[in-house]
Amino acid sequence: MDLTYVGMDFPRPDAVQKAQGKSVYLDDIRLPGMLYAEILRPEYAHAKILSIDTAAAEACEGVVAVVTGASCAYSYGDNIRDLIPMAVDKVRYIGEPLAAVIAESAYQAREAIKKIVVRYDPLPVYIDALEAMKPDAVLIHERNGEYWHLPAIHPVAKTNIAGHYILKKGDFEKALAAADFVVEGEFDYPFGSSSAIETHGAIVWFQNDGKIDCWSSSICPFIIREDLANTYGIPISDVRVRIPEIGGCFGYKSDITVEQTVAWIASHARGRPVKWVASRKADLESTLIGHGIRTRMKIAASKDGKFLGLQTRSYHSTGAYADTGINVSHAATHNSTGPYVFDNCDLQGYSVYTNTPPVGAFRGYGHQEAQLATERLVDMLARKMGMDPFLLREKNYIRPGSKNALGERMYVANGSVQDCAAKARAAIFRGNKPAEDERYFYGRGFAALMKSPKGASFQTKGCYLKLNKDGSATVTIGGVEVGQGLRTVVQQVTGEALKISPRKVRVNFEVDTLYSPYEWQTIGSMFTTMGGRAIIRAADRVIAILKKNASFALRCDEDFIEYDGEWLFVKSDPECRVAVGAVAQGYMTEDGRTVGELAQATSDARLPRYSGFDENGQGGAGVSYTFGAQACELRIEKSTGKITVDHFASSFDVGKVVNPRQIRGQVAGGVVMAIGATLYEKLQVGTDGKIANPHFGKYHLPTASEAPRRQTIEFVENPDVVGPFGARGIGEHPVIGVAPAILNAIYDAIGIEFTDIPVTPARILAGLQSRETPK
Amino acid sequence: MKDHVTFKLNGREVSVALAREKKLLEILREDLGMTGTKCGCDSGICGACTVVIDGKEVKSCLYSSERLDGVEVLTIEGLSVNSIHPIQKALIDAGAVQCGYCTPGIVMGLYALYSSNPEAEEAEILKVLDRHLCRCTGYETIVEGAIAARSLFSTTGTR
Repeated sequence: MDLTYVGMDFPRPDAVQKAQGKSVYLDDIRLPGMLYAEILRPEYAHAKILSIDTAAAEACEGVVAVVTGASCAYSYGDNIRDLIPMAVDKVRYIGEPLAAVIAESAYQAREAIKKIVVRYDPLPVYIDALEAMKPDAVLIHERNGEYWHLPAIHPVAKTNIAGHYILKKGDFEKALAAADFVVEGEFDYPFGSSSAIETHGAIVWFQNDGKIDCWSSSICPFIIREDLANTYGIPISDVRVRIPEIGGCFGYKSDITVEQTVAWIASHARGRPVKWVASRKADLESTLIGHGIRTRMKIAASKDGKFLGLQTRSYHSTGAYADTGINVSHAATHNSTGPYVFDNCDLQGYSVYTNTPPVGAFRGYGHQEAQLATERLVDMLARKMGMDPFLLREKNYIRPGSKNALGERMYVANGSVQDCAAKARAAIFRGNKPAEDERYFYGRGFAALMKSPKGASFQTKGCYLKLNKDGSATVTIGGVEVGQGLRTVVQQVTGEALKISPRKVRVNFEVDTLYSPYEWQTIGSMFTTMGGRAIIRAADRVIAILKKNASFALRCDEDFIEYDGEWLFVKSDPECRVAVGAVAQGYMTEDGRTVGELAQATSDARLPRYSGFDENGQGGAGVSYTFGAQACELRIEKSTGKITVDHFASSFDVGKVVNPRQIRGQVAGGVVMAIGATLYEKLQVGTDGKIANPHFGKYHLPTASEAPRRQTIEFVENPDVVGPFGARGIGEHPVIGVAPAILNAIYDAIGIEFTDIPVTPARILAGLQSRETPK
Repeated sequence: MKDHVTFKLNGREVSVALAREKKLLEILREDLGMTGTKCGCDSGICGACTVVIDGKEVKSCLYSSERLDGVEVLTIEGLSVNSIHPIQKALIDAGAVQCGYCTPGIVMGLYALYSSNPEAEEAEILKVLDRHLCRCTGYETIVEGAIAARSLFSTTGTR
């Protein structure tokens, strides 16, 4: 395909404002009469609330209202309606909203909150799915099983199991019996935080005319709009949600998070806007966290290296509320095959209520947790068989024509894991690794990966497109920019589709449910694919209008008219033409009367290949898969146990690169984020449910000098059939193979099998020591 | 005991009420309405709140209001009023601006570095960048932009 603008570097339209500190983020918003809220969190992670004494707080200077959940009678949730905005009769995790103060200033709210006195009756605390699943465990949700939920979710009443997901294909037991080699293991991807540098925050304003205004640092304005309308019993059109600039998302600002809580608080100060912005501690303890997935996995193989069967048990400590975590469990379970064909699958996932912050989306959404197990086990299997791990993988990769665990058939347009594997391998494994020296051990590791199009069958993205009189265009989309570069993609795809320079395309910054087209939410690495397709459909409609208008000017049938971005002309006589500007707003005849219509269009797009699921979980989940491979070269310092990633290589089949500089940024950033999870980051939840490190001093994000010294980032371009000009998504993919690639490299370096992360220097030193201790 | 402190902010003298519990970040954002300086962790780790005081890189979330008396504070708003500062240009050109939340702090950190040491070596640049957390870029483009900024800065001079 001959492309002019897609595939080129274009600068971000928002970069200057951001670099100058002029962009407006949630906490930068100032509204007339604005009040500030502070939220009280409990002292126990699981306890009955005996009493809350708010009198002293109410008497404090500047306090407008003190709010508790006592009278709160509603719940919400888009998958399982188990969420409440504020604790009612018990608390279920250490960050749960328990009470709030609304005051004239943030300082006054902070001071008054200290005066609230709560009495508790503590209950047993469960911080791990395996403990909470035990038959004698105290129920975290007495009403589990009674909550409204989507039909594909299967809670087990009278237990803490919020969802039991089963996926069966073929006969795993038969495969196991026929196997020559079996490997199994348990792998743990512990709790972590998306930790955008901007924390969560929201402003809610109950207007005296009955309407609700909301601003939030969120990527799902339309879900917030519908949820608030539903909760407060007003028309959807009476809720207006605006999304200012967002300082990073990485998952945890998707789904409804803090907005219902802030709304509940603000409903006690009607007529004035109420702002709440999370402190870093509140962000780490009370907004959505990630992972918490323990995977037990078994792979059965024949002696010639064919994978016969896969058994997975995914135990997900989903936290105190399961609405946002349940689909992460599903994704972890059905993507636990990695990029391989298994004819026999016995995959089960348990989403289990625990007394920990609710798990929600985290960049990667279950994939990195499950494929840590897959890619470590495949390496272990290769060693057990005495087979080259690359050859073993090669024999089992998903190829065009093969079917995945869900029974979805793959086509060339789904991309090639083999091509990605070859690139990542070539970058790292060419030649020999450095020999062990006095200071360091050296190791190399590899992981192939698969990313599913996680989302909902009804997910839709819309586009409004206007062509202006000077040939420039204005695009309004419902997709939210979080730093990923969506606005540039919109400009480039619009430019390509309309054959005009992306510099002439203006894209909306703020998403506003009053003016922006509907979008379910900007999740799942799906904006480029679906948003891009919506833009092309709108552009096609605009061009059709231009041709219709031109047919009046050129006195010629529409299908005889061609469009080149500047002119509309008669195919057989290009000199017979009219400028785009002259027909962008209808065609004005010489006497000023105008015919035709405005060159503007609305459109939308969905993924085409969804179906329902049968009793074994077989069905279509959208089929827009992406494949990739990652590999690394690292050194381990003998004296300190410190791991330095010298070179990290990533390759993904993205169908078509839209913006080379931006896509490199997405991958480089994703790799470093997952290096954080692999080597440094873990939310340390004690047995009492308290979090020991709810601040950046002890929850350590990687710094510049901890990033790999070198990243090789390459792409394969087997065009997609749905995405614009063949493009697929890339947002989440770079985090998926990082942990297994590094852990495989650690094994290569020192022969120690780590099965959980983070692998800290202390663990390396302990491992080296026990390796040297004679048994 | 004084109830106000007077200091220079972006070249202009300002006077604010002394409040023991308030740090400079809150004074800038809440009292003076200057929201270009961001709050990321409120504990001096992430660097989003970085400003320049008397030529030095300072985390404003830790800087108490008592210390403000007589100092000279430069924030992102004062760096380039009607133009794009070379440091900003270098970061933008390198693709180092993604969500943008950490960017003003990084710009100020590099400004303090290059103002005092226009020939700073890569190790020194990295030392400054290690005081700034970015969750988007993986730092590759930030390091590239920071190095490019050094030559732009030295050829065009300050402000």
